[in-house]
Amino acid sequence: MDTKITIPKGLTYAALAMIIAGAGVMAYSFATDASRAWANLLLNNYMFLSLAIGASFFIAIQHISQSGWSAMFKRIPEAFMAYIPYAGVIMLLIYFGMHNLYHWTHEEALASDALIQHKSPYLNLPFFFIRMVIFFIIWTVMTQMIRRASLAEDQHGGMLYFEKSELYSKIHIFLLALTFTMASFDWIMSLDVHWFSTIFALKNFVAAFLHGSATIVLVILLLNKRGYFGEMNKSHLLDFSRYIFMLCIVWGYFAFSQFMLIWYGNIPEETEYFAHRWDGGFKMIFYVNFAINWFLPFVFLLPQILNKNKNVVMTIAVLLIAGQWLDLYEQIFPVVVHHPVFGIQEIGFFISFAGLFIFITAKALAAAPLIPHKHPYLEESLHHHVH
Amino acid sequence: MDNKHIIGVFDEEDALMEAVHEVKEKGFRIGEIYSPYPLHEAIEAMGKTSRFAFVAFLYGFAGAAAVLAFMYYTAVIDWPVNYGGKPTNAFPSFIVVTIIITILTVTILSLLTFSVRAKIYPGKAYILPDARSTDDKFVVIFDKSLLNGKQTELEDILKQKGAVEVYEKELKPEN
Repeated sequence: MDTKITIPKGLTYAALAMIIAGAGVMAYSFATDASRAWANLLLNNYMFLSLAIGASFFIAIQHISQSGWSAMFKRIPEAFMAYIPYAGVIMLLIYFGMHNLYHWTHEEALASDALIQHKSPYLNLPFFFIRMVIFFIIWTVMTQMIRRASLAEDQHGGMLYFEKSELYSKIHIFLLALTFTMASFDWIMSLDVHWFSTIFALKNFVAAFLHGSATIVLVILLLNKRGYFGEMNKSHLLDFSRYIFMLCIVWGYFAFSQFMLIWYGNIPEETEYFAHRWDGGFKMIFYVNFAINWFLPFVFLLPQILNKNKNVVMTIAVLLIAGQWLDLYEQIFPVVVHHPVFGIQEIGFFISFAGLFIFITAKALAAAPLIPHKHPYLEESLHHHVH
Repeated sequence: MDNKHIIGVFDEEDALMEAVHEVKEKGFRIGEIYSPYPLHEAIEAMGKTSRFAFVAFLYGFAGAAAVLAFMYYTAVIDWPVNYGGKPTNAFPSFIVVTIIITILTVTILSLLTFSVRAKIYPGKAYILPDARSTDDKFVVIFDKSLLNGKQTELEDILKQKGAVEVYEKELKPEN
């Protein structure tokens, strides 16, 4: 039961092939249309970072609530967290693409625009990157502490590391609330530099939590198909699909709240955000976004006959990953590229980052026994039963 | 009418469920189970199924459709008013009201459905075999007339599985 997972050679090679094939497309993309390339880089790096952040929040919630049912699956979110430092390095690269992405970095805009001048004590290049480094240091340190406590528990057992994990998780979610808020303001919201929304960070955080959880479920079900997690039963599956179901409602609530208040208030400085996202062919994406991230998971995970079916839950999880991409596409592309584009560049960037994410996650997953065999709640998790 | 019942009192949920599964296997018919909190396992063991969730879904669906239709009728068909140049069919702003009314519809209709199906109403005389089931004890009762003289066997099983008390009582409605 406490065997280590062996990553098939084929998966490692496939991930590396994805990275290399995508890198070729990236090089081509930067040479032809730099703005589009930077938009793709930001989108994909932020997307896989938010899966890792969502996973770290997932595991922190399990620690804080002292959940028994999820104890045997805790290695999966832990493996996701390994992506955070790599995302940090890639995120620093956008230093070279700041002019393509962020209007507020243009000297002439700063000189003539009162609003950008007003925001410049916060939105300026040095402070932007100082914040970025601080965010990544905090996230890396906190997730490493949680991971180390979990690995130490495997060695020594006992309640000490269980309590430590809980303490670290409490600190982590507190810091995450502050840092992720500012991070999403900095990296995504400042693309529309004149616009602001106070619910923006919450919406993006819930999106990270939702899609992170969906990806965790997808990986668990894929491993289950390959013969791991033999003790996984219908109750675990039901709890996972309830998790996704609950989070898709929360996502829908926040996304709709942001839209509805802006639509109802109808004042120019707020409405310009959705004006950009409705005109120029983007309107379809607005509706599809709600369909994929809220409506379809809501309808398909509602009846128990469907939400206890592995294939249905797996399909929804895959759909939600596409939904996360689309949600960020709607936030980033209208301001950077100005018209809807989808082609080899978008696919190449996604494949490359997905390959990197798979490679890092698989390595982290193989580094520790798949089942945390000295977790105090492991027995409860193995015999989990709900109705 | 003779309404004599055998009553088994348990300290623990696990002991109660073990006893319930054992007597079921031996072919006894369980009258009712009383517990301080809902036991899904007990409901399943008694072979009871529920269509309540589906009914609640129907109420919600009907409630949402009705309130949307009502708002569309009042705001668009019957009395269109121009509010700051907005379209009369201000669909996004209907959603908030729809959510609230849907929840209200489901809550009230579910309560009524439950009361009708369970035949409960304010002031109804109730049957409570052992008042301690409202505190910290788990109680299972069996109709004596259905036991066909196997009463001692039943009492032995209950005691063996950890019943703290097994006794006979005639059940009467109380007020």
